[in-house]
Amino acid sequence: MLARNALLERLNEALDDRDLARGMQAICAYVGAEHYLVARSDGPADTALGNVVTSDWPFDLVRSFAAELVREHGKMNEVERCIGIHRPIFAMCDDNLRLPPALSRRYCIIPFNAGSARLVLMLLFREGIVLSQERLHDAALMSAYHAGAFVGTGGAERALDLTEREIECLAWISEGKTSDEISTIIGISRNTVNNYITSIMRKTATKTRSEAIALAVRNSLI
Amino acid sequence: MTLQMHAAIAASERLGGVEPLVDGHEIGNAPTMAADLIPRLCAMRRVVGATGFAVLSCSGGGSRIAGKLVPVLADFDRPDDEADEDALARGAAGRALVAHLDCSSLPLVWAGPDDDGPTLHADCRQLVVRTRMADAPMAGIAFPVRLGSLGNGLVVFEGEGLALAAGPLFDLHRLCYRVMTDLLKLEMRKAAPRKSLSDRELACLQWAGDGFKSEAIADKLGLSVHTVNAYLGSATAKLDAVNRIQAIAKAIRLGFIA
Repeated sequence: MLARNALLERLNEALDDRDLARGMQAICAYVGAEHYLVARSDGPADTALGNVVTSDWPFDLVRSFAAELVREHGKMNEVERCIGIHRPIFAMCDDNLRLPPALSRRYCIIPFNAGSARLVLMLLFREGIVLSQERLHDAALMSAYHAGAFVGTGGAERALDLTEREIECLAWISEGKTSDEISTIIGISRNTVNNYITSIMRKTATKTRSEAIALAVRNSLI
Repeated sequence: MTLQMHAAIAASERLGGVEPLVDGHEIGNAPTMAADLIPRLCAMRRVVGATGFAVLSCSGGGSRIAGKLVPVLADFDRPDDEADEDALARGAAGRALVAHLDCSSLPLVWAGPDDDGPTLHADCRQLVVRTRMADAPMAGIAFPVRLGSLGNGLVVFEGEGLALAAGPLFDLHRLCYRVMTDLLKLEMRKAAPRKSLSDRELACLQWAGDGFKSEAIADKLGLSVHTVNAYLGSATAKLDAVNRIQAIAKAIRLGFIA
């Protein structure tokens, strides 16, 4: 099995060459996994394959299995997810799922974050491998280091076309501030604040302040 | 999964994962308050050869624009008029730290006004981000931690003559994650609503967050508008919020509603 310092050097080399796959293979070798898959768990739920960042899983497995798994994982309670970040979760594949021979039916899923992007590392192992919790925890942070360099990690606000001032207003509203209070805090007029709010609700197609705040929190804008 | 795998995982879980072992001594048991983490942070400071540390928590889900850094724990050996941790949290240094937290998972390293910054071993070359910090009093390193919508921030170590290699740096980063996770657990224990929210209260919050006004929610649930507003009011009080909008934001962040 690959030693820790050797792995860190391999990650350096992979990043030198901007080779996402090579770095992930090295992480796999470090934990003793056979196949890896990295996917975003914060993307739109309807795109089956669009959220997969990189993988060397057999393609049919990605299509039949991975998408559903990521979706299920995305429903996890937020506090539990935060407290359990980098902690590996083990589960068994469905009985009717066809796996390549010699692969264990027990897979591992490890949540991690890179910037504001939420991701999961999903690993498949050979039957009979002994795993180290420590190495699996390491793998999560290493995946953040490595895959994070290839994933668009910020900018949900760009997708919604909100300006910095508008997001600032949203942040204060979510803390319960009124337009008057916000105008005092930021140092602009109350009318300007209300204009920002109107603009926000138009851009996000929301009908109430509550809905706009809910959207912003769900999208990690505030 | 083989029996061996079960046993190995069970054993390491019994040990509670990694307990920071520095100089052969285990640092502390499960913390009951934030200050319990200080011995751990002091040990980490010794390992990196720094003179000061600060744990900076980032509000606003770690957002680059809305995020504000708040010092949670700090100890700088130098007696100074202005608290070093506040200097780091605000101003240009604070903005640089928040910007880094938003876009990178790598440790951030900077030089002081009079030096070239920490000496980095060649094995760190792609695993660290170097920058210049306009108002930093001295060289330092910041480890970004992102747990999700809660518990984000940076653990900062400051000092002259720091020398770092990839292995120890990585270990420290893992320990920083442990510190922030333990802090979040403490915060959750304090912040848990005294009485848990009822199904009706949760339903009203969810509908309100989905854009429905009280009349519409009343229709959906077969209640009067006044009852709906009462449920929203009691949910607001339980979540320790000033109005229903803040209540909705808190409920989503805590995962009570989607």
